[in-house]
Amino acid sequence: MTYEKQKCWSILLRLYHWSFALSIVFLVATGIYINFPWSNTLQLGTGSFPVAWVRYVHFVAGYVFTAAVLARIFLYIFGNAQERITDCLPISGRNIRNLIKTLLQYSYISDEHDERLGHNVLAGCTYIITIIAAVFQLVSGFFMLFPEAHIWQSWGVTLFGNQQEARFIHHLLMWWFLIFAVIHIYLVIWNDVNGPEGLVSSIFTGDKFKHKKA
Amino acid sequence: MADTVNKTLIPRLDRRGFLKGCTMAAAALGLSETMVPKLVEAATTAQRPPVVWLHFQECTGCTESLLRASHPDLGRLLLDIISLDYHETVMAAAGHQAEQNLKDTIEKYNGKFLLVVEGAVPTKDNGIYCKIAGRTAMDILADVAPKAAAVIAIGTCATFGGVQAAAPNPTGAVGVQTLVKGPVVNISGCPPNPISLLGTILHYLTFKRLPALDSLGRPLFAYGRRNHDHCERRPHFDEGRFVEQFGDEAHRQAYCLYKVGCKGPETFASCPSVRFNDVGVWPVSVGHGCIGCTEPNFWDTMTPFYERLPNVKIPGSGIVADADSVGKKVLGITAAAVGIHAAVGIGKRLIKGKDEK
Repeated sequence: MTYEKQKCWSILLRLYHWSFALSIVFLVATGIYINFPWSNTLQLGTGSFPVAWVRYVHFVAGYVFTAAVLARIFLYIFGNAQERITDCLPISGRNIRNLIKTLLQYSYISDEHDERLGHNVLAGCTYIITIIAAVFQLVSGFFMLFPEAHIWQSWGVTLFGNQQEARFIHHLLMWWFLIFAVIHIYLVIWNDVNGPEGLVSSIFTGDKFKHKKA
Repeated sequence: MADTVNKTLIPRLDRRGFLKGCTMAAAALGLSETMVPKLVEAATTAQRPPVVWLHFQECTGCTESLLRASHPDLGRLLLDIISLDYHETVMAAAGHQAEQNLKDTIEKYNGKFLLVVEGAVPTKDNGIYCKIAGRTAMDILADVAPKAAAVIAIGTCATFGGVQAAAPNPTGAVGVQTLVKGPVVNISGCPPNPISLLGTILHYLTFKRLPALDSLGRPLFAYGRRNHDHCERRPHFDEGRFVEQFGDEAHRQAYCLYKVGCKGPETFASCPSVRFNDVGVWPVSVGHGCIGCTEPNFWDTMTPFYERLPNVKIPGSGIVADADSVGKKVLGITAAAVGIHAAVGIGKRLIKGKDEK
């Protein structure tokens, strides 16, 4: 059986993926600390600013996260055939069939793997939900970061009611990203073991390996 | 020593006290001292509008805090200088006479008087849960508010519904802005600082317009900043010095109350800078966290008062748990599911063998 190398992910998508992933690692680690600063200095005059410093890292990572989300939304509209939103949603016969086949394969009912260059539709939908969660995350984040800016206040009040509600939703959505990360890493490894397309390396190289059509 | 118990009950407001009150209001508004004479002039001019003060579903705490301000001048300034034609707690008239006063004022000064509302308005069952002189609060508000030059809602009940609007809100209580067309100035707080009310009224009298408001209708001069961002304990927060529980050594050292549920980081108010009762105190300065009383839905979202975040309520199950324990459980279940999925895959491969490859 022969394989051919096919271009799948653009450089912007790969940059988006890794800045998104790394910023989430930093955001979750610093966010947990900000919610519960477990270290307690308990002493005056130590000259250390742990909470201020961790908050600073959180905000820098937040800006990287925002840039990544904006890049992904741009690619949903203007990206290549695999990156567009139309390839991720079950809105065509091809996509619906792919969703069903993926579900059957993931539940070990069928061994058939639907050949497809981009995301499978189950993954594509999950990523869209994650991007929507990310948008809520950054709106609530900026609402809390810029409490005196009118634009963020009017958005924040409309969506969340008050700062405490925004903080609560910001915190709950963090758990979505943690749970997503566990399932995502497991499933890409699972796919890499079960399918020969080189899924894990594709997010570094942008290339996937597909069966060569005779 | 401040006259906290009004030992020297001065029957009339003296000039010194009056000027002091005007200066405090000017400072709260962020005006230069050169504006104080203008405020004084506006407050003493013969054409100043009368004030009608309506009480609905409330505890009269806002009025009490106004009258009990250790600075008696603030309360007196409002009561003596600004003509308060109808105020159920402090007016001399009673019964039909009082209602006649209200009727006369709103007719005589139609479109000119200032309306201050204290307390939420119940709307369920046509508003029968609050009646004054046989009329529901809804009727009175619908009668008086359209005739007022400006409407000021004082206290969290009048602005956002307060405790009676907390879930399940049995009387359908709402804030004044929900029922009144046109702008309402929301002086929220439980109780709000009297200076915020005085500042708003003097601003209106001096400049003939209402002060700049935030997206919730609260004057920016008093509600433009979060308590946390101008709290005197903020350095302890940034340097990571926290009270772990009430009464511990860190609490005695007046460290940050963040970890015992202080809601300063989500509450907009002037408490840390203007403070209360002329003795320079506010909750955090005496060792208790902010409870977020100036924010909408504070009874529902700021509780539990001594926890950082609200609890997660799982609908229909009656389960109430804190967000992190729910999150950890869901994450644990996810990890277990991933493990089972992987084990099934390996098991299937062991049974079937690798024949297809």
